Amino acid sequence: MTTSISPTKAGLPPAPPVDAARRGFTEIIAPYAYITPFFVIFAVFGLIPLLFTFYVALFDWNPIGEHVFVGLDNFSGLLGDTRFWNAARNTVSIWLLSTVPQLLIALVLAHMLNHVRLRLAVFFRMTMLVPYITSVAATAIVFAQMFDRDYGLLNWLLSLMGFEHIDFNQSVMGSHVLIAVMVTWRWFGYTALLYLASLQAVPRAIYEAAAVDGAGGVRQFLHISLPALRPVIVFTIVTSTIGGLQIFTEPLLINRGTPNICGPIRQCQTLTLFLFEQGFTQFRFGYAAAIGVALFVMVVALAGLNYFLSTRIRPVKG
Amino acid sequence: MKFRNVSAVVLTVTAALGMAACSGSSSETSSGASAGSSFEFWSFTGIDAKGSAAEYKAKRPDVEIKLTEVGNAQETAQALTTALAGGKVPDLVLIQGDDLPKFVQQPQNFVDLRTLGADKIKGDYLDWVISQPTAKDGSIIGIPTDVGGMAIAYRADLFKKAGLPTDREEVAKLWPTWDAFIETGKKYTAATGKAFVDNAATSVYSQVVNQGEEKYYDPAGNLVYEQSPQVKAAFDQALKAVAAGITAKQSTFTEGWSAAMKKGDFAVIAAPVWMLGSIRDNAPDTKGEWDIATIPGGSGNWGGSFLAIPKGAKNPKAAWEYIAATQSPQGQLDHFAQARSLPATPSVYKDPKLTSAKDEFFSGASIGTIYTDSLLGLKPFLIGPDSTTIGTEFTNALTNVEQGKGDPAKAWDAAVTNIKAAIGG
Repeated sequence: MTTSISPTKAGLPPAPPVDAARRGFTEIIAPYAYITPFFVIFAVFGLIPLLFTFYVALFDWNPIGEHVFVGLDNFSGLLGDTRFWNAARNTVSIWLLSTVPQLLIALVLAHMLNHVRLRLAVFFRMTMLVPYITSVAATAIVFAQMFDRDYGLLNWLLSLMGFEHIDFNQSVMGSHVLIAVMVTWRWFGYTALLYLASLQAVPRAIYEAAAVDGAGGVRQFLHISLPALRPVIVFTIVTSTIGGLQIFTEPLLINRGTPNICGPIRQCQTLTLFLFEQGFTQFRFGYAAAIGVALFVMVVALAGLNYFLSTRIRPVKG
Repeated sequence: MKFRNVSAVVLTVTAALGMAACSGSSSETSSGASAGSSFEFWSFTGIDAKGSAAEYKAKRPDVEIKLTEVGNAQETAQALTTALAGGKVPDLVLIQGDDLPKFVQQPQNFVDLRTLGADKIKGDYLDWVISQPTAKDGSIIGIPTDVGGMAIAYRADLFKKAGLPTDREEVAKLWPTWDAFIETGKKYTAATGKAFVDNAATSVYSQVVNQGEEKYYDPAGNLVYEQSPQVKAAFDQALKAVAAGITAKQSTFTEGWSAAMKKGDFAVIAAPVWMLGSIRDNAPDTKGEWDIATIPGGSGNWGGSFLAIPKGAKNPKAAWEYIAATQSPQGQLDHFAQARSLPATPSVYKDPKLTSAKDEFFSGASIGTIYTDSLLGLKPFLIGPDSTTIGTEFTNALTNVEQGKGDPAKAWDAAVTNIKAAIGG
């Protein structure tokens, strides 16, 4: 297979025997030395905190006081805690409301951006990233103002058309939609670019042949673009699942009258926000760590499910 | 053989990284220790810590203050918690009264200020204020910087349009009780079609509950929030205000609240002394249209902050010198003149500098007198480690009735259920 030998290597005279040992040694350690920084940093900021979280979850852990071992009490408490299930329900609801539209919008946009006759293609592709590079906090504050009950732009437009004002923040569905809109706005461009990159690898000739055969834009999209995108779609579903389960900044900032719980009846408190509330306003680090472990289990389970589905899908391709 | 070499290199690289990290932190430590009169100060926003630090530096040019405004009061307490757990602490930190009990319960994290001379000056402060930073073992972990006397801020121009009196003495006579306050609100709303007060949770419940002699704990430290007549009375009073339809349904410190204040969509805010700065900052165009009147019930306290020195402080002596100089009765009086924070030292309450202070933003109201009067004859209650959590659940239940679709008849029970879930009681 690898028959080609680089000219420089081929042209080298045989190395003197004295240097052979040293060069062999250097060549062996070099790759390990190159990758070491990553593993050291991963251990310090990833693995060790993760393992430590499992440890803390077994304690009634006051960060500035005593640490009392309580075994699995935090976990049994969590299973009976309606606030936990409420947060889990909110998280899944917000994730679905944001991921599904986001991926659909991105698919259609990517197909449009891939069009041969698109003018100013680079401009449109670049602007897609603007929401992604905007600070989440700024996004949250601006959207919260736009959706405000009394003074928001959206409700002003609604009242011009003769409708009643909608209080997005105080209702369960309203607050979920508001957060989902922010998440979708932030991520659709990024996802669309991922799809676009994948689509550009598809030879133009296939589209041209399809056009010659009389296939319109929709058929081209369904029968060429979509199958070509399958692996990257699976990838974006996995990443948006992991991201969606960890939504934090938006619910933290939209209901600032009730900090850390996103509304008086916790209508949009997500799991990460519940974790933050327990850890940093109640100082119950053990309980917060148990929430973290539960979240970890959920993410691993969903990622595993996605992986399973993706390996099922691949053989069917073509 | 080869494998051992590899692992040796990996170890070396790791050690090098580790040493780099260590040398970085150690050099910082030595530089901090060498500067004998410098100290690190964590404060929160909105209380003009920069002003206090600058004043102090003018008197003590040899001192260097590394001031950090961490965030709001709660964020500062969170950062302090993390710092105490991690071991890298500031020399001096400002803690809000509501966050204080959690720290007083773990006094081993702080320098007992009696070792630096707090015993000599503790008589300068209101006794019920200095009792808050005093731990069970008798150690004093904080020195009061201010207190939160209570009053009502109202828009005199809007009162005039609604046919209500505008003079602050007459306005105070409109509401000797909270029931009378709600009746006044009904008159205002009927005359103008607009809301009277910003919300029920903060401007009614949190005021009434802070006017009693017992709140969520009895003097022995037992939880009594369910039985306390003051708490139930405050809760019912807030529900009455909601039912009367006089609230603007704007939660304090939200965007909507700021916008409504600017537009004059409510005419009244319950204003503990620290609220005055927020009104001034949020609605600068309403200068001269506001005035301040006595709160229904006459007296009450909400808030106040404390300066503490964490145990691991590198320079506790410089931090204590700062406390002693700025928090003396004279120091607090000077700071009142500059930043409108109410002294916790009763010896200056009759000082002309305080009694003659008038605030032009609030139509020249004598804020010093109005607010210190609200502190006289006050019998304060015990604030416990879960006071903030309990209060939050009560106000959330009220907000849900006011802004959500909560059933007022079930609100109290819902709040109690949530409190039990939150504090495990």
